[in-house]
Amino acid sequence: MRISSRRIAAASAAAILVVGLAGCRGGGGGGTDEQGIRTDVGVTSEPCPDAIDETKGCIYLGTLSDLTVGPFKPLAVPITESQAAFWKRVNEAGGIAGYEVDVTTYVKDNQYNPGVTTQVYNEIKPNILGLIQTLGSEPTNAILADLKSSNILAVPAAWSSTFAFEDIILESGANYCVEAMNAIDWALEQKPDIDSVTAVGYPGDYGDDAAGGVKYSAEQNDLTFKHIATGPGGGDVQGAVVSQLITEKPDLVILTTGPTEAATIVTLVALQGASAGYAPMFIGNSPTWNPAILASPAAGAMTAMYHQAGPWGPWGSDTPGHEAMREALGTPATLNDGYTAGWVWSYPMKAALEKAAANKDLTRKGLVDAAKSLTSVDYEGMLPSEAGNYAAGAAGQFKQTLISKPDANAPTGVTTVEDFFTGPTAEGFTLTKACHETL
Amino acid sequence: MSTKLLGRPMLYTSYESEMALLNTGTKKAGLGLLLAVGVGLPFLVSDPQLRTLALALITAVGVIGLGLVTGYAGQVSLGHAFFLGVGACTAAALGGDPDSDLIGFGVTEVLIWLPAAGLVAAVAGALVAPLAVRLRGLYLAIVTLGLVFVGGYVFNEWTELTGGQGVGRNMPQPTLFGYELGVSDEFFTKEQKLYWLMLVVLVVFAFAARNLVRSRVGRAFSAIRDRDIAAGIMGVNLFRYKMVAFAVSSFYAGCCGALLFVADGRFEPNTSFNLDTSIKFIAMLLIGGVGTISGAILGAFFIIYLPVLTGYLPDLIPGLSTNAAQTPNTHQVELVLYGALLIIFLIFEPRGLFGIWLRLRNYWKAWPFSY
Repeated sequence: MRISSRRIAAASAAAILVVGLAGCRGGGGGGTDEQGIRTDVGVTSEPCPDAIDETKGCIYLGTLSDLTVGPFKPLAVPITESQAAFWKRVNEAGGIAGYEVDVTTYVKDNQYNPGVTTQVYNEIKPNILGLIQTLGSEPTNAILADLKSSNILAVPAAWSSTFAFEDIILESGANYCVEAMNAIDWALEQKPDIDSVTAVGYPGDYGDDAAGGVKYSAEQNDLTFKHIATGPGGGDVQGAVVSQLITEKPDLVILTTGPTEAATIVTLVALQGASAGYAPMFIGNSPTWNPAILASPAAGAMTAMYHQAGPWGPWGSDTPGHEAMREALGTPATLNDGYTAGWVWSYPMKAALEKAAANKDLTRKGLVDAAKSLTSVDYEGMLPSEAGNYAAGAAGQFKQTLISKPDANAPTGVTTVEDFFTGPTAEGFTLTKACHETL
Repeated sequence: MSTKLLGRPMLYTSYESEMALLNTGTKKAGLGLLLAVGVGLPFLVSDPQLRTLALALITAVGVIGLGLVTGYAGQVSLGHAFFLGVGACTAAALGGDPDSDLIGFGVTEVLIWLPAAGLVAAVAGALVAPLAVRLRGLYLAIVTLGLVFVGGYVFNEWTELTGGQGVGRNMPQPTLFGYELGVSDEFFTKEQKLYWLMLVVLVVFAFAARNLVRSRVGRAFSAIRDRDIAAGIMGVNLFRYKMVAFAVSSFYAGCCGALLFVADGRFEPNTSFNLDTSIKFIAMLLIGGVGTISGAILGAFFIIYLPVLTGYLPDLIPGLSTNAAQTPNTHQVELVLYGALLIIFLIFEPRGLFGIWLRLRNYWKAWPFSY
């Protein structure tokens, strides 16, 4: 009696599911459109859901970003919004070869978690030509093998040196490894008596990539090198890092965490280190800054002790690209340089799509081939066009960095104190394998 | 014997026929149909849908396991995520690449690493069981809660095993007698093969659980759940049966954990095996129906399909977005629904989805004289 009802319950549930699914197997789209451009996945002849010109087809690009609970949410949401604005501008200017580009339909939350990333990636994978954003080094590494085997071109919202070795990754700006080298060279210029450096960062590719650069730099410049890995979290998690720093007293600390962790560590070192006579110089990789810090109790310590190393100029910089971005986005409610990053990252994808369309091949494979053959990208001045030399591979990596400092009067809380430069250490460095492997 | 009494399905002339696994014709037909649909589904639905189905199937194994210890034996466990983690790590270590930086033995044969994952988790469960003999109710819940945190720390810090917090590690792709189940070939896709694997595992585990609970062991579980002191007086060995309950439940959890991340390929220890996961499993059990096997399966399907169902909402509700960067979005609706459903089920239908099914069935059984 009881048993029977259970079986039937399960049976009817399955039946409902079958009806509900109502899917049918087979049939990827694809073919050749009237202009003779070959397409396969993620390109349709039907217009985009928010089409400006209903007669155009649609290219779908996916986004995997840290939108709700992860440590980079304050930067990730602006990145995503900025990319939507970038492609709206592209579509208004006529789109790409008879197609408009949609970057808002397949936006998924990866929670800055490699496990969640693989799951949401699989959800959108059948519908997209490429990824306009995959946020985080480790989350991106989690899907890297599948991106490669499926020929899906992806724009990382991260700057890991691992990406230099991957044809399917379309990265922009100097990687964390080189950025850390430039940061140390700059610090040595300011304070030549620095003789020890500690890298503090997230475990995995993000923190380790910068730490690999710090280690190389320490070897070249005869500095004592230490590495501390720490996870996301506030004072309860960072306490151990702070006490280790105060005990070991490195002259320079390179931070490769989220903004909350950077602010927590700097503030606690400022508070607790004062009595021990310890006040190091802090330089963070670009994702360690969020202007909201200036409105927090960490503002004082950060302004006094912290600099940001970044791959391109902040929101207020004077280039045609920055100008176009400010015009397209107006005045966002909470402004930070996530907007700038999202905008810059979009240029190479635009160049790759245009080149693929010119090659009459907008298939996944065609897009990857087009991206790989790019020798320059028009960043509208936000980066030099040689930063888009993807044909050069790992050896031709772009190595320039800017240094900024907190400034309450600047729109995104930082002003540039040192414009694009390549330090001597980075100049003499050739990327032969991913920096985290050298750690 | 009962088969001779056609048309009188409620009449049993022996305990044996009454206690049979499939004691009516409807039941046999229903199960046969269900299995036929289950086996045939990969020819009908697309790969992404199979992926979700496979996830629901394997999750159901874990929920059945939790149902055994919590629903049948009455030992509230918030530590289920820990046992999932033990299973996942065992499988990842056994099947892992021996040349990588992480612990790996290169045993990709699923018939080896799947039972091994279950066994290691079962041993962990048996080690916890003595606590359950000393404690019950809320106190036991708190102790098993501690297990999640202690385990979580070990998972985060033991980077050679788990890859560490924020990084995680890849799951091995299963092979069966040398046949690769985790890669598409000219006959079947990866999703089809993994779906069948999960289906077989669920069927085996569901039948095993069903058999266990209608046996002497299962009756001992129920006796302990209803009143452990009374059960002890009746001669039920509390220590032994609580230990069996935890060990079997953990075995289920271990096997579930081992296969849970195979389709997507990667787990991250800090978020995959935390308190949220434990609570999610309890929610599946409560929504599906405590103390039933098919209820556990229904609950697992329901919660796994919740995001899929909320995905259809934007078509019905204008202004609701599927874009997680906009508010309100389906992700938020899903979280709200998840909480609301738990409360609604606990208040209005404590027997869960299974209880709703019972009422529906009884209505039609008496039709047209239903009341």
